[in-house]
Amino acid sequence: MRSWRRKRESAGLEAELRANRPEPSPELLYKLEARVREDGRRLRAGSFRIAFAGALTAGVLGALASVGGLGYAATGAGQAVEKATRVVHKHGVTTLHKSAARAQYSKPKAKCPKGKKRVRGKCKKVKKARGVNFRRPPFTG
Amino acid sequence: MFRVDPLANPEPLIRRVYAYVAYRIGDGPDAEDITSETFERALRYKKSYDSRKGEPVAWLIGIARRRIEGRPANLEISSEHYETADRGDLEDDALRRIVLSGAVGRLEERDRELIGLRYGADLTARQIAELHGAKTNAIEVALHRALGRLRAQMEGDDESSPAVRKSQAGR
Repeated sequence: MRSWRRKRESAGLEAELRANRPEPSPELLYKLEARVREDGRRLRAGSFRIAFAGALTAGVLGALASVGGLGYAATGAGQAVEKATRVVHKHGVTTLHKSAARAQYSKPKAKCPKGKKRVRGKCKKVKKARGVNFRRPPFTG
Repeated sequence: MFRVDPLANPEPLIRRVYAYVAYRIGDGPDAEDITSETFERALRYKKSYDSRKGEPVAWLIGIARRRIEGRPANLEISSEHYETADRGDLEDDALRRIVLSGAVGRLEERDRELIGLRYGADLTARQIAELHGAKTNAIEVALHRALGRLRAQMEGDDESSPAVRKSQAGR
């Protein structure tokens, strides 16, 4: 009974706090609302401008694409790039890697150790073929 | 990504922020200044609002709290900021409002904060708990106690008020 009464009193006080809550003056309310709305409008105007520019670009591109203008423009641009590359490109000094002089005067290759032979640039052990062992015939005078 | 505008509907937000600030520091020009500063900051940092973290009002109340805490020390709250008037020639409702405002003004800082958040800014206990980094249950208990202290203050006012005594005698 007592707790119910207390609860009711509490609810009454809560309602009173809500009902009597401090209110801003109309001037403050008007001023702040106007300030917030003005800011929102400015932002919206900015985003509208961007959206409009994007839509206009898309429209122009679409119109060009429909009459083959894009392919024409791409070809033109490609050719221009090619031309520019040809003009700007700098040729370096050509070095011949294989020549008679190089074969003659190049740095001598290191000799292979005994029992090894150079095969395709690398020193490899040479196996003796079977059956080719030559024996000197006995001295018969 | 689509961004939510936290200040799309400013009027109820202004009312709630002002009510919270007025419950905290008292009704009047100081509360209006803090409310204006809060909205100026909110406009400046609108892009930092994250709708996943909470409602716009909770975000604004967070800003307002920091503005109140960052006020210079000479602007400390005094009961003069809360409504006081000659109670002799006021209607019952107005008198009740003044008694309520005065009683809130005499509460401790923490109680005023909780009452401001709950009944001024209309936040739920859960939102207050998130703002304070506390448990919802702890906030509910603290609110209940704050209301008890407010009631005690008001009862004390009622007994001491000559206007109330006169009106009670008249009945």
